Amino acid sequence: MEYVYHIGVVISLYVILSVSFNITIGLAGLFALAHASFYAFGAYAAAILSVKLGIGFPLSMLVGIVGAGVVGMIIALPALRVGGHYLVIITLAFQAIVTDFLRNANGLTGGPDGLAGVEPINLFGADLTTPGDFLPLAVFFAVLVYLIGQRLERSPFGRALRAMREDESAVQSVGKNPVAFKLLAFAVSGGLAAIAGSLFAHYVSYVGPHSFTVEETILILTMVILGGIGNLTGSVVGAIILVLLPEALKLLSLPPITADMLRGCIYGAMLIVILRFRPQGLLPERHSIPKIADSLRAELKAVGKTVFDIAKVAASGPTLVGKGLHKRFGGIVAVDDATITLKAGRVTGLIGPNGAGKTTAFNLLTGFISTNSGEVTFRDESIGGLRPHEIVSSGIARSFQDLRLFRSMTVLENVLVALPHQAGDKLLNVFFRPRLVRHQEAENLLKAEAVLAYVGLREKAMERADNLSYAEEKLLVIARLVATGAEVLLLDEPLSGLDPTTLEQILPSIRRLAEEGRTVCLIEHNLDVIQKVCDYAFYLDEGRVLAEGPPNELMQDPELQGRYFR
Amino acid sequence: MELLLPLFLNGVVNGAHYALLAMGFGMIFATTGVVHFAYGPVYAVAAYLTWWSVTVLSLPFLVAMGVGIVGCAVVGMASYVLLYRWFLRNDSPPFIILVVSLGLLMLITNLIGVAFGTNAKTVNDVTYGFYFIGSAVVTGVQLWQVLALVVVGLGLAAFMKWTAYGSYIRAMQDNMLMAKIVGINTERVSLVVFGIGSGISGIAASLILVKEGALPHMGFLAVFYAFLAAVVGGLGSLPGAVAGGLILGLVESLGVWRVSSDWQTTIAFGVLFIVLIWRPTGLWKGY
Repeated sequence: MEYVYHIGVVISLYVILSVSFNITIGLAGLFALAHASFYAFGAYAAAILSVKLGIGFPLSMLVGIVGAGVVGMIIALPALRVGGHYLVIITLAFQAIVTDFLRNANGLTGGPDGLAGVEPINLFGADLTTPGDFLPLAVFFAVLVYLIGQRLERSPFGRALRAMREDESAVQSVGKNPVAFKLLAFAVSGGLAAIAGSLFAHYVSYVGPHSFTVEETILILTMVILGGIGNLTGSVVGAIILVLLPEALKLLSLPPITADMLRGCIYGAMLIVILRFRPQGLLPERHSIPKIADSLRAELKAVGKTVFDIAKVAASGPTLVGKGLHKRFGGIVAVDDATITLKAGRVTGLIGPNGAGKTTAFNLLTGFISTNSGEVTFRDESIGGLRPHEIVSSGIARSFQDLRLFRSMTVLENVLVALPHQAGDKLLNVFFRPRLVRHQEAENLLKAEAVLAYVGLREKAMERADNLSYAEEKLLVIARLVATGAEVLLLDEPLSGLDPTTLEQILPSIRRLAEEGRTVCLIEHNLDVIQKVCDYAFYLDEGRVLAEGPPNELMQDPELQGRYFR
Repeated sequence: MELLLPLFLNGVVNGAHYALLAMGFGMIFATTGVVHFAYGPVYAVAAYLTWWSVTVLSLPFLVAMGVGIVGCAVVGMASYVLLYRWFLRNDSPPFIILVVSLGLLMLITNLIGVAFGTNAKTVNDVTYGFYFIGSAVVTGVQLWQVLALVVVGLGLAAFMKWTAYGSYIRAMQDNMLMAKIVGINTERVSLVVFGIGSGISGIAASLILVKEGALPHMGFLAVFYAFLAAVVGGLGSLPGAVAGGLILGLVESLGVWRVSSDWQTTIAFGVLFIVLIWRPTGLWKGY
């Protein structure tokens, strides 16, 4: 029976590891392969504290969690700068350094022999020495970690993580700071993995470097992938299967080394087979579509909040002004001494031939790239030095020519992510002020519904963004911009590629944005469209503003016509 | 200072070994986009095949080396045809292919262990000389390692520059889509690249067999070093791979000058960790 309990403990540990790994790999899409080093940190923290200082559970676990969280943030540093393959190799290097350190720092870690004699956990005056005694505690922590992961996944924080996985620039463009999200995702994932490490050390009363190698990381990765990337319940299933499966090998009574190797073969083959035949894993990622509970709806009704209007903006005069903007890329001058003034309540167009520097001017105005000289001011205050997400928070939002929707998320979620000032974006609120988060989430759902109704996408709220037609995608882009609550909206070719009928549907939405007091600026090639939608236009060519004025007047300038159709 | 010369020479020799590995690995990655982790165990296959040919079949070493290299190229090509090609055809995300190759790494590594056992395999009847450079001793195998880098490096550079396949490969490294559009049979070229890349690792493997012997897990560190050297030099750049390998070898070796040799790998990885954070695209602009 003790054998069965033991298997239960092992499963619990791997559930903790795979669920926590899934937070970085699955939810955040950060392919860092150093999870075993967090596990190691938790285990060695517990072992060192116990063996050398006589400090036991739960303090030893706490130290491990905090320490591994910090280590997680260190690993996040390269993830801020590089992605893809580089992140993989850097984190593998980190993992190798950790294993090497454990093996060589004899004084601290006991070197290759490890540390023996870790005190068992003492709970309610009894030492948990047998698997049977230990199992309830292990299960308790496994459930706890799963619940923490689940709450994180379903919170606005988790939603922002998934959005970041889809498109980092787009997340910035709706006013969120990807840096903070990455750091926290790694910290949480690392801290949770350390729980497993701490339990492991106290359970087997011994730690050694061979338990925390790259192979261990790959094993946990296999569990995550088998269960389903991005599905936390899947990680539980993956852990159970991959712990049980090799146990069957024991029935064959092979020599232990051969059994070990066969286990390696099984894991390797398993990875290949899953990815070949069911890459989404046994339990594919599900999109928990947020719903407003009836009780909450009632509560909101009681305080008079059932419908949200899209607020009008009380503003007039110049808002966003770029003075003498200049930008070089290497030897190429993309924007040269351009001065562009945007005013509230009007739709301003940037026109000009391909390569005129329109998109660069856009990027300068919204702070996505920095100027070589010149200054951008918003209500007479410089926005130079602000990072893109801070600029959005101050009230200036932009869209992208290539849309950059969060394609695997629902239409509603696309809008929800963009809503500003979400309490649930802060992890502390998610866990310690759940009521506040829940209430705000309900309000935000109503707001998002209102925004969708505003652009005419209310019926599509539960569709995945990649199921939308092209015109609907363009509407969703506008919805996402409106949702940021910004008063200055810059749209990069919001109307290109649309047929005339659809165009007629979308044009009024854009006009309305300006009529309600917002500052709207857009890039457009089609002269007809510009005449219909813009109150004012800047003509750019070769990086310079050649002319400005009402579109009708610009169109009649023979020189500009010649340049445009040249 | 007396220690410095042998350390330096040792660093160059190990660096040549890493550079050779980086060349093959970088070529496969830059051309096909596959992060071929199983490059490591395929390299180990070459070492074991060479060992088997020498000890069981009693073939002369050079012939056995040929068996190892060809066998390694075949296994590399098979991993493309049987595994990666399907994922590439179905436009799998790069991370999926990377994990597939990790799976293949686990599979082949452990299969080798099951088939040959975990004890080190060595060949004893290959003789080589010792030479003195100043106060330092250099063995014949070490000279071969450097020579292999020079010959393979020049050969590969000539191949890339002057043959039709070389130009196909360069085209694919530059722009896969355009290469397809202009009618290059990219799958056949990929197959050739897997063959050549793996074959190069086979050369390195048979020399390491003579020098240190073969172990089932030898492939993991090998592909790791290959990856690091290729990234440091700039993925896909031939001179970059050579420079990356030599830098890696020298950093690792010269580190020992001041610190205990236990920390050799830590030093190398630590320095690279910092270099990559500082300059993620590598020193040479490749792919």
